[in-house]
Amino acid sequence: MEQAKISAYQLFVLIVMFTVGSALMLPLASEVKQSAWLAILLGMGGGFLLYLIYHGLYQYYPNILPTEYVQKLLGKTFGRVLGFIYILYFMYLAARVLRDFGEMLLTFAYEDTPLFIANALLIIVIVYTVRKGIEVIARTGELLFVLAGLLAISGLILIIASGVIDTANLKPVLEKGLGALLKTTATQTLYVPFGEVVVFAMILPYLNKSEKAKRAGLLALTLSGVTLALVAAINISVLGVSLLSRSQFPLLSSIQMIQIAGFLERLDVYFMLTLIIGGFCKIGIYTYVAIIGTADLFNIKESSQLSFPIGLIILLLSIIIASNFSEHIQEGLQIVTLYILFPMQVIIPVLLLVIAFFKNRKKNNN
Amino acid sequence: MGMRYKKILLFLLIICITTISGCWNKKELNELSIISALGIDKNEEGEYVKTFQIINPKNVAGALQGGGGGQGPAVTVYSATGKTILDSHYMGSTKISRRLYMAHTNLLVISEELAREEGIIKILDAFERDPEIRPTTTIVIAHEAKAEDIVKSLTAIDNIPADKVVKTLETSERVWGGELKVTLQGVIKKLTDSGTDPLITGVRVIGDPEKGKKIENIQASELDATLEADGLAIFKNGKLINWLHGDNARGAVWVLDKLKKTIVNLEWEGVKDVIGYQVMRQNTEVSAAIKNEQPEITVHVRAEGDIREVRNPVKLSDPDVLRKIEKLAEKEIKRQIEGSVEFAKENKTDIFGFGDEVHRSYPDAWKDFGKDWQETVFPEIKVDVKVDAFIRRTGLRNNSYLSDYENSH
Repeated sequence: MEQAKISAYQLFVLIVMFTVGSALMLPLASEVKQSAWLAILLGMGGGFLLYLIYHGLYQYYPNILPTEYVQKLLGKTFGRVLGFIYILYFMYLAARVLRDFGEMLLTFAYEDTPLFIANALLIIVIVYTVRKGIEVIARTGELLFVLAGLLAISGLILIIASGVIDTANLKPVLEKGLGALLKTTATQTLYVPFGEVVVFAMILPYLNKSEKAKRAGLLALTLSGVTLALVAAINISVLGVSLLSRSQFPLLSSIQMIQIAGFLERLDVYFMLTLIIGGFCKIGIYTYVAIIGTADLFNIKESSQLSFPIGLIILLLSIIIASNFSEHIQEGLQIVTLYILFPMQVIIPVLLLVIAFFKNRKKNNN
Repeated sequence: MGMRYKKILLFLLIICITTISGCWNKKELNELSIISALGIDKNEEGEYVKTFQIINPKNVAGALQGGGGGQGPAVTVYSATGKTILDSHYMGSTKISRRLYMAHTNLLVISEELAREEGIIKILDAFERDPEIRPTTTIVIAHEAKAEDIVKSLTAIDNIPADKVVKTLETSERVWGGELKVTLQGVIKKLTDSGTDPLITGVRVIGDPEKGKKIENIQASELDATLEADGLAIFKNGKLINWLHGDNARGAVWVLDKLKKTIVNLEWEGVKDVIGYQVMRQNTEVSAAIKNEQPEITVHVRAEGDIREVRNPVKLSDPDVLRKIEKLAEKEIKRQIEGSVEFAKENKTDIFGFGDEVHRSYPDAWKDFGKDWQETVFPEIKVDVKVDAFIRRTGLRNNSYLSDYENSH
């Protein structure tokens, strides 16, 4: 664990940028059609619970990384194996987001560029930032947060001003029934993006005032949940359900509908900037966490030495995980959520919390 | 950090700056053919004929600066054929020296014949999928013409024919209301909705299309061939089946709430077309209800406007008279809307999206109606049209000079 501290505000910003990150651009909960925004809000509610679980574990061990306290909870061997699995999980998800990023760039702007080059350029910047440690990532996040906020506000004004929002498209609400809504929440929106905050278990120990972790985290989840739900509702209103379900990148399609005063049109650059900022923050945090986890587990003093090798692994992984975009998305929806996200974000943390509860009670009794 | 290391780093940075910023996907302006309009026809062999209207930058610039530019036309047109839309697109490269660039294409013309026989469903996917073409591209149907005739005609004032057509539709939709400017995405949206079908404006060539191609066409004060928006094509199952004209077309635009301004001619004391009522703003609400297990539609129009012409003496200073005229305007607007609803019912195609309204308000009942909405439910549906018309002003005069003229004679 490096010697560094971040403030509660920086934690808030990082969580917001991370959760909004790539989720803003991909279709979320498109199965429930008009009710996608409801599914996101429900997912946010579940996200609160998950965050409280991670926070509960953090309160038992406020000064050490999860890779270390799992060894205390499960014993050296099992703890190390589990820690290693989590590092693989972080790297795999970093690769997935990097792949999303590259696919988006190639689909809508750089069709002649090889995927490898697009991904490599982003990972180079990320490796450079991550080498500098969590404080630099947090400060970069603060800067980008302001920029993203300006983009979001001006984008919202433009989209309202262009008059493309037709709220009638949001009706009928709950056409597929409450059951379908809960199912989508439990199989999708709970994990992506809200359950993904499990990575912040690795970042919480850097917080300078540990008592503020709960408030900052919950506020951040609220802001990102509301933002994502609002964007989902706008996408449905602008595009309608059928186009939304056919869109690879609904936000891009919505932005392309903006036409104001004969010259404010084709504002694809909004999407491009959001994409780069979101991709940078999300992949950056995953990469950083994978690095400090590895350093902690294998007792490597200079964790920054690991930046290049791990960055390279993530880059190569992002290329080989799927042979085409449809395969990538289908894997994400059908395999990853059930077999990776569900155990890593829900089951294991809950079990760890239960174990921590009993271990510490014993300790206190003694 | 040693000096040597810094030097190497600097060298690497310079390499990066010069190579990375070079861009893999560079598209130089002078290597592009900027397509302003595309026309799609089908030839006798069943192949698509795609007509590209390409902007001739030199001649456009010359016209804008008032002389000094080229003497030729503002656009050059090429055609290519292919078995698919994309095929015909790439066949274009055998004739055109530069890379075809569609980001500025703002008009897509589909021939009436193609829209009638094959329908428009199968040809739009290539456009929706392409990241270069805009989803807001305007679509029109070549009314009683080939798409290539529309694309090839040269136009005056707006030198680029595609601009001329798009602007005509915009202006006409705004001040007259008999046309609609529909976009690529708008059409696809209506095609995929089960409760509505698209309406697309027709454009025809008035005059001789052959003469329209020549630069002489725009060198006379009256053009030999000119492009005119004419009628709204109505579709069913993706195929063009009929045309809406005149008041019927305007009635449809009223219902769709796309109308901004228009003129309504009113009868006064048994004489037709005496009063010109200019609608300045209007708002239409369509709502659905289910009565006796049958859907019913209410169209509620609220129009506000001025009296801008009288051709017989009418006492416009009298509020009671204005109230009477308001009633007449309501009746006339209602007649237009009902005419257009009847027309759509006869053609069994729900161009107004009434089905969508039922779907939104009664998602459960829609499961029963939705299946054969167009065929059986829509043609029998009860549509209640309510119009509230208001007269706000009468222009610079109260009573017309016609009253004084009559008194003095």
